[in-house]
Amino acid sequence: MNVLGIIFSYAERDNLRELTKPRTLASLPIGGKYRMIDFILSNFVNSNIFDVSIITKNNYHSLIDHVGSGKEWDLTRKIGGLRVLTPFASPDAKGNGIYNSRVEALSYNMNSIKRSRAEYVIMTNCSTIYNIDFEELLRFHVDRRADITAVYTNNIQDPSLLAYDAPFYHVNDSGRIEDVRLFSEENGRRIDDYRSANGENEPINKSCGLGVFVIRKSLLDSLIADAMAYGRLDFYRDILQRLAGSLNIQGYEYQKYFMGIDSISSYMRANLKLLDVEIRNKVFENVVYTKVKDSVPAEYVSGCVVKNSIISDGCRIEGTIENCVLSRGVKIAKDSIVRNSVIMQNTTIMENVNLNYVILDKDVIVRENRKLSGHETFPVVIEKATIV
Amino acid sequence: MIYAKKKEMIAMLLAGGQGSRLGVLTKDVAKPAVPFGGKYRIIDFPLSNCVNSGIDTIGVLTQYQPLELNTYIGNGQPWDLDRINGGVSILPPYVKGKAGEWYKGTANAILQNSNFIEMYHPDYVLVLSGDHVYKMNYELMLDFHKETNADCTIAVIQVPFEEANRFGVMSTDQNRQVYEFQEKPEDPKSNLASMGVYIFNWEKLKDYLIEDDNDPNSENDFGKNVIPNMLNAGERLFAYTYGGYWKDVGTIESLWEANMDILDPNVPLKLNDPPWKIYARNAGQPPHYIGEHAELKNCSISEGCMIYGKVDHSIIFPSVTIGNNAIVSNSIIMPNVSIGEGAVIEYAIIGENAIIEQGATVGCINTAKLSGEHREITVIGQDIRIGAKNSIPAGEMVEFSLPGKEPLR
Repeated sequence: MNVLGIIFSYAERDNLRELTKPRTLASLPIGGKYRMIDFILSNFVNSNIFDVSIITKNNYHSLIDHVGSGKEWDLTRKIGGLRVLTPFASPDAKGNGIYNSRVEALSYNMNSIKRSRAEYVIMTNCSTIYNIDFEELLRFHVDRRADITAVYTNNIQDPSLLAYDAPFYHVNDSGRIEDVRLFSEENGRRIDDYRSANGENEPINKSCGLGVFVIRKSLLDSLIADAMAYGRLDFYRDILQRLAGSLNIQGYEYQKYFMGIDSISSYMRANLKLLDVEIRNKVFENVVYTKVKDSVPAEYVSGCVVKNSIISDGCRIEGTIENCVLSRGVKIAKDSIVRNSVIMQNTTIMENVNLNYVILDKDVIVRENRKLSGHETFPVVIEKATIV
Repeated sequence: MIYAKKKEMIAMLLAGGQGSRLGVLTKDVAKPAVPFGGKYRIIDFPLSNCVNSGIDTIGVLTQYQPLELNTYIGNGQPWDLDRINGGVSILPPYVKGKAGEWYKGTANAILQNSNFIEMYHPDYVLVLSGDHVYKMNYELMLDFHKETNADCTIAVIQVPFEEANRFGVMSTDQNRQVYEFQEKPEDPKSNLASMGVYIFNWEKLKDYLIEDDNDPNSENDFGKNVIPNMLNAGERLFAYTYGGYWKDVGTIESLWEANMDILDPNVPLKLNDPPWKIYARNAGQPPHYIGEHAELKNCSISEGCMIYGKVDHSIIFPSVTIGNNAIVSNSIIMPNVSIGEGAVIEYAIIGENAIIEQGATVGCINTAKLSGEHREITVIGQDIRIGAKNSIPAGEMVEFSLPGKEPLR
């Protein structure tokens, strides 16, 4: 495929608190053994796109650890392959090489982007899990003779799983996007207003952007150069919204399942949604590749009670777990009861612990007799490598 | 002649055996490719041992049903054996000039690949077989080999005297030098059994392999011919005692036992051992899911499984589905098996991709259960379908699909 994939590893704004402190959004663990970026990288690879650049901004250490040379995604290629673009300070760069907006990020990395042999670019963020056939998306883009194609979805049943800075698009009958409303604000209502504290959300009957765009590389280059020259640095406001009238921006409707994650509550919700077999089948419809850790199969010791849970390799379960998502190498000692929780890699729960609606980051130790309880919309979050 | 970078020691892994005593399990695959321990195959053990011992050049000699084994090994990447210098090479028999021949025996297989070995100019050659489950540091064995200034070192394990007649046994002096070797003796003089792991000085071995090849009466086997010949000629043979877990998984019984050993905390076969990981080609499946009414007791479950029923003292490989109210106990369920609602599986090994339909029973005895009774292991072959409500008695080996007892609605 004649496409370069560009992934932004970070969210402009997110509310993931302790979870994105030690890592960029792209390397946030999810669904047991995966990281957010696995879903996007697998999407590219499953669509026969083997030329992918990841634009990072800060705390990308864990991401580089995770993706390595891209071997596990079959992205160690002579032509194309995986490139991780980190900010760099050059003596003549303005500022210090750190970018604050998408436009700046693209501008600073344009040399690398231009070096790709691909004619088109598909840009995406890291906060959404979806299953798009990018080959079909590119065909759509070419058929419609679009300057930019923006992916959107209609009728969102669960606004809690939509990024809250997702734009609303006004798509006309011919599929062209005529106007863009930023920060999901329309008639005084933002996505936040469709969400409610008790978890019962109001469906949104609008076209919401999913942060995926197709554009010819040469056009991207000139749009970005132009925007930089005028100091217009917001991709949505200064390119999409401003140029909606003059460019042919086409909307491509995505109709399948997606989960956007940009807050603690949506992170919790997305993980627990995976316990639903139908949703799991949709999310894992195509192979999702991830880094192999060579852990042993999970061990269940007599006396354990396990209900409705996802469990990864290397776990050892002696206690009770119910409605949980466990990453690799989690140990649950006997007489402990863990409910409705997400537990990341190598975390240990000692004896007689009681947890409900808790997110435990990697390498946490919960000592004997501790009790922690949160709520679905406000789970307790324990930072990486904490001893409770 | 091609020259590659010199290696001190390379490994030659004999993986051509059929493993006929495993019956239907090795109908389509060579024994080293038989699944083991929830996510591994038997060959993962010697391969991982090599890599963990710092050996990065391995020739895998294949002959019987090599397709699955070749696909599994691929470029060796899961074992970190995709190397510029060395790595893993698959070595099938090939045609030489006008004549070509199969590997006539273990020694002949090595001889036929002497060009491969010569390429690396090794001082030592490690000969391994692909049908044992054990974790062993070959580097320590090589140190012993050098210290004793041996021509050949044979790894040995102590076995009970009454079982020694199944092995090649070694009588040694106080320096561990071998003075007598008996292959499967009726009256064993020692209980030090050969593990089928040898280190040879390559120059020495080469001479004996050529000599052996010139002997028309030879079976071209290490245990039967080469080792006795070396001993008779007065070469320095030493026995290196290995004290860990080692099991020949050549029979249905021993394969079942070795799998169950993983679940037994008292058996020193620890797979969850980060500095000595056993590497395997990964299934690439999502983590497994345990349903609302599942009951799990002392079992090991792998990626991609969906468990709704009851699992007791069993090893479940990747992508297995166990339906509601199904009972699996004391069994090994190989990858991609589907077990229908209410099916009962006891003391069984279910081969890859088999389908056990709803209500079927496998390996069940209707008589009252005696405590400590010896149960025969039931085996269902690869890709076999056992129809709904059909019943397979204990100890059977099923090679053909069987229809259901009732028409499926």
